Amino acid sequence: MKTADTRAVASDADLVSAIASGDESAMGQLYDRYSAIVYSTAVRILGDRTTAEDLLQEVFMQLWRNPAAFDSNRGTLAPWLVAITRNRAIDWLRKRRPETLVADVSLAIEPDLASKTDFARFAGKIRAMLDRMPKTQKDVLEMAYFEGLTHSEIAAKTGQPLGTIKTRIRSGLLALRTALTQ
Amino acid sequence: MSVHDQFAEDLALHALGALAGQEKETLEKHLEECSHCRGELQQLQSDMTLLAFSTMGPVPPPKSRKRLLRAIARERGAQVTVPKRSAWWLLVPYVVSTALIVVAAFLWKESRSLNRTLANLERRHAEMEKQLRVAQDLVNTLTSPESKHITLAPVKALPQPQGKAYYLSSSGHLIFLANNLAPLLPDKVYELWLIPSTGSPIPAGLFQPDSHGAATVVNPPLPIGIEAKAFAITIEPAGGSPAPTSQPIMLGAA
Repeated sequence: MKTADTRAVASDADLVSAIASGDESAMGQLYDRYSAIVYSTAVRILGDRTTAEDLLQEVFMQLWRNPAAFDSNRGTLAPWLVAITRNRAIDWLRKRRPETLVADVSLAIEPDLASKTDFARFAGKIRAMLDRMPKTQKDVLEMAYFEGLTHSEIAAKTGQPLGTIKTRIRSGLLALRTALTQ
Repeated sequence: MSVHDQFAEDLALHALGALAGQEKETLEKHLEECSHCRGELQQLQSDMTLLAFSTMGPVPPPKSRKRLLRAIARERGAQVTVPKRSAWWLLVPYVVSTALIVVAAFLWKESRSLNRTLANLERRHAEMEKQLRVAQDLVNTLTSPESKHITLAPVKALPQPQGKAYYLSSSGHLIFLANNLAPLLPDKVYELWLIPSTGSPIPAGLFQPDSHGAATVVNPPLPIGIEAKAFAITIEPAGGSPAPTSQPIMLGAA
């Protein structure tokens, strides 16, 4: 996705390198760029704005303390931060010990989201895709992603067979992949 | 159905952390050996993060930004001010303190660098341990006294083709070696089956003989702890079948 903003914008990789050198203003720039998606993901999963603020703080402090954990060759920063936020939020939600180390997250998608306009357009595309999806499939996908339920738990909650749950989750993820490439 | 297709739906669940129990263990074992499925898992993990973008709307309050930057400044210990003194010797303790801070900063930087190096070494060590485990599993399957060695012979008295299966039910490891196999048409494939004491035959790998009629199957994905009554080979359509569609051409009792 290309941004219409033609001003020179520091890349995520440059800002993360600056953080590694102790540059606080670089941290501020990354916060301005990605705090909204981290915070909204945390609010959606945790259902509480105060707790979501705590998680937002924790995610960015982790980036500050260990910027080397983000490898720009393995993906872009937005999905990386989102993945960490989601995993940690589910840990909090289910009162589990942290299961995912920051360095374990490795992602392949490359949406280039350098401006707020890009984010809004991208979010709209994903929402439209979800709205087109059958409700039963969307519910199953959201239960797995936002509630952290296992397929057995989803089957018990919805009364659908395990095989149906599996198929709906996979085809739902593939539909999202398609939305990204359109 | 290929080996990868068999794991396609479990990969999606695993990406979401929604797979549990025996299915999770079986998939993780397969992932250790299959780069194709590891790549697909990474792609699915990326796909799932797209869901988060549907939540865009709420924005954090301005105080969150201040709180973060305050915490960062606190960690850096950047709030150091030096009062003015009239006599130069009164500055000595501060000069010494500054020198100590510089040394501490240098040591801190060195420590970070060493930590990164250590993390790399640990990663490499874990990788080598994994490879060693795979090698040990192979040797164990071939040499363990519990390992069953089964020779498969053609059902009809064709003398040349021969297959040997080495199977360790306690770990689910299987090594199959065959030779003198007849070539197949391009739309056909040989499929190996594990025939359990009870229940239906379990697919144990697809193969095509090379130009000398030789073929191998090493550690196909199999459930652990299944006692084999026999192994068999059938000719199936390209891509394999979930259940045999033809009579076995080779069979060996365990």
